[in-house]
Amino acid sequence: MQTAIPRRSEAERRRARRRSAVRKYGVVLLLLAPWIVGFTVFTLGPMLLSLYWSFCHYDMVNAPRWIGLANFKFMFGLGTIEGLPPGAHDPYYWLSVRNTLWIIAFGVPLRIVFGMLTAMLLTRPKRGVNAYRTLFYAPSMVPRVATALVFVYLLNPVSGPINRLIDAIPGLSAPLWFFDPAWAKPALLIMGLWGIGDAIVIYLAGLLNVPRDLYEAIAIEGANTWQRFRHVTLPMITPVIFFTLIMGIIDGFQYFDQAYVAGNAASGQNAVLGQPQGSLLFYGLWLYEKAFRSFQMGYASAMAWMLFIATMACTVVLLLTSRRWVHYGGGGQ
Amino acid sequence: MKRLLLYVGVAAVAALALGLAAGCGGGTSSSPSPLASGASHEPVTLTVWHPWTVKSEKQGFATAVKGFETQYPWIKLNIVAFPNSDEFDQTLMKNINAGTAPDVAISFGPDYVGKYAADGLWQDLKPYMEADSFSMSEFAPAALSYTSYQGKQVALPVLTDAYGLYYNKTMFAKAGLSDPPKTMSELMDYAKKLTVRDQNGDIKVAGFVPLNAFNELGPSDLAHAWGAKWFDENDKPVLAGDPGWAAALTWQKQLVDWYGKNAITKFYAAWVDKEWTPDQAFETGHVAMIWDGEWRTKMIANDKAAIDYATAPFPAADDHPEMYGSGRVGGTICGIPRGAKNPEAAWLLVKYMSTDTDFLVALANMLGNVPTTKASAESPDLQIPAQMKTFIAVWNSPGSLFQPPLQSIGATYADFLNNYDDKWVQGKGDDLQAGLQKVDQDIANELSMGQAP
Repeated sequence: MQTAIPRRSEAERRRARRRSAVRKYGVVLLLLAPWIVGFTVFTLGPMLLSLYWSFCHYDMVNAPRWIGLANFKFMFGLGTIEGLPPGAHDPYYWLSVRNTLWIIAFGVPLRIVFGMLTAMLLTRPKRGVNAYRTLFYAPSMVPRVATALVFVYLLNPVSGPINRLIDAIPGLSAPLWFFDPAWAKPALLIMGLWGIGDAIVIYLAGLLNVPRDLYEAIAIEGANTWQRFRHVTLPMITPVIFFTLIMGIIDGFQYFDQAYVAGNAASGQNAVLGQPQGSLLFYGLWLYEKAFRSFQMGYASAMAWMLFIATMACTVVLLLTSRRWVHYGGGGQ
Repeated sequence: MKRLLLYVGVAAVAALALGLAAGCGGGTSSSPSPLASGASHEPVTLTVWHPWTVKSEKQGFATAVKGFETQYPWIKLNIVAFPNSDEFDQTLMKNINAGTAPDVAISFGPDYVGKYAADGLWQDLKPYMEADSFSMSEFAPAALSYTSYQGKQVALPVLTDAYGLYYNKTMFAKAGLSDPPKTMSELMDYAKKLTVRDQNGDIKVAGFVPLNAFNELGPSDLAHAWGAKWFDENDKPVLAGDPGWAAALTWQKQLVDWYGKNAITKFYAAWVDKEWTPDQAFETGHVAMIWDGEWRTKMIANDKAAIDYATAPFPAADDHPEMYGSGRVGGTICGIPRGAKNPEAAWLLVKYMSTDTDFLVALANMLGNVPTTKASAESPDLQIPAQMKTFIAVWNSPGSLFQPPLQSIGATYADFLNNYDDKWVQGKGDDLQAGLQKVDQDIANELSMGQAP
């Protein structure tokens, strides 16, 4: 007996395809659902809400009240705001911006240079390589709060071992670090350099990925060490530099924990944010103060959005210029 | 980028919860009807939040408040101790908005009382007080300065803090001094006499450290010696207009300059973070005089510090002798949050915790704070060192008050003064009058931004 295989019409096949597509994408959607729900509820929703609040007077107790651009006017001291004297502005906004730009301008390049140099050193040893790498990476696993507390102790102008050492050298007068506005930010830089293990690991991977034959080729041409670095190593690790640059800048804009903990620990209390003399008042600290201590959530949302825009703009500019100086390709990529 | 999103996100989520909650927050608008005596007593459970974190203090409070349950057998207490007293008020506000407030809240800081009153977060106790013939004259007049705002009595004191001068008697004797300084010029003079330096010029013993945030001192405490006011009757900041501020900050800078900026900053750095340890500068004999709260008497005893000391009110300006004996006060408060399930029974507890002599004495003996009622301060069961008497007197002085004055936006506006003061004493404050005008302007803007636009 012969069973006829039923032939499906074109329309049926299309329906079947659609059914299978629905099944396929349905499964994808189902698997993605937790993320979609999480993203919408915990990221996108709050972001849109904070965008709305940035145009509101909102004290976290009473319902938000639309005030147009007043928060932004107060931030930049532009125009007049209803209920406020002319020229009213946030006295610490630009201070916090300046402090943040300072830490980015000095912190990010230092991190890149030291990360790269240390990684280059770490490619040298023939024995005990792993031990060295672990040793250099270990500090970056220490939580930032703990690091800050340790450095406040290390850099105490009187009881700290570092100043005792410096003071023992005749003719030298040790800085007051976290108690001197001129030295507080440099103290944070030193602290930052201690924890560059993650950058070292990335640079190390980049350096080890540079193809040997390029070095051999340039050696045949009689290049010296500097030329080897300048014409082979550096161009080949530009993608890594680019990555650490962008991450460093984003981190810098959000600089918070270290300054918050160091400032409070040095003074022994939550007396004034950003001490000494406002030198550690970074953007994130001022935003936090506005949102959670002064209950100006509307204004803090406006600050958060300015931060977001600034970070985004920096990233985009870097991405656009990267075509000129970042070399992709080679090294098997 | 992820962290940035998280940043904006977390802040927003926290506030979203509040915002949503604000809509449904239990605004019990029914007028309170104090529990009439003789009313039928349905069993009631009261939830009480308190900010004491140390185990012995938690136990001490729970033991002391047992008297309430004995007195009102139909009321059971559900006592909730908060893990982090720094976040107490913020957490409380969230819960009030969410309709999950406790019946009674005990808070360490009066900083938020202005906000509690202005936004109706804590209930006005006046109707209960009137129905109970209870008046604020139970307490010292200074109590009003941190429990009442814009005519709303939203809190009552549960013991208090009072501040004054501690001085080391051994060092005084060595320097040929006997009585504590009573005027600011005496204080400056004594501070210089009592200071000991080593051969490098570093300060070994400081007579008096006049810097902001050296333990409890703030520029407004110095200005109080001149009777300086923060605001005029229209709530306009007047730091530039009231000559007391300029006088106080000038006095402060003169003493800093005498020490030398570098020397005093080094000394500050060495000791400022030891405030809550047995190594505290006064307890270890490294400062001869210090501005501090009454609890230090208890700490000195607990730490068995080997110093012979006495206390006195903080000196007054030479041309303001009327200020002598007064100072900053203000401490733990209790009240009934909006949305409390059992406000009538809650009032009984609030009244008990602020006025019951046995309770206050037990708590004062444990914490070393100033007993707030006349009866508790005179109780024979009160076990306090003789040095505490100064602080009880400061509490009762008519010139004492809480600083910075209550405002509906909280107390962060004082940071503008403190920040300026930090710069000023280091010689970076430019012209003092212009600097104070800027502080006035910044405070005015901050208040307006918190309320107006």
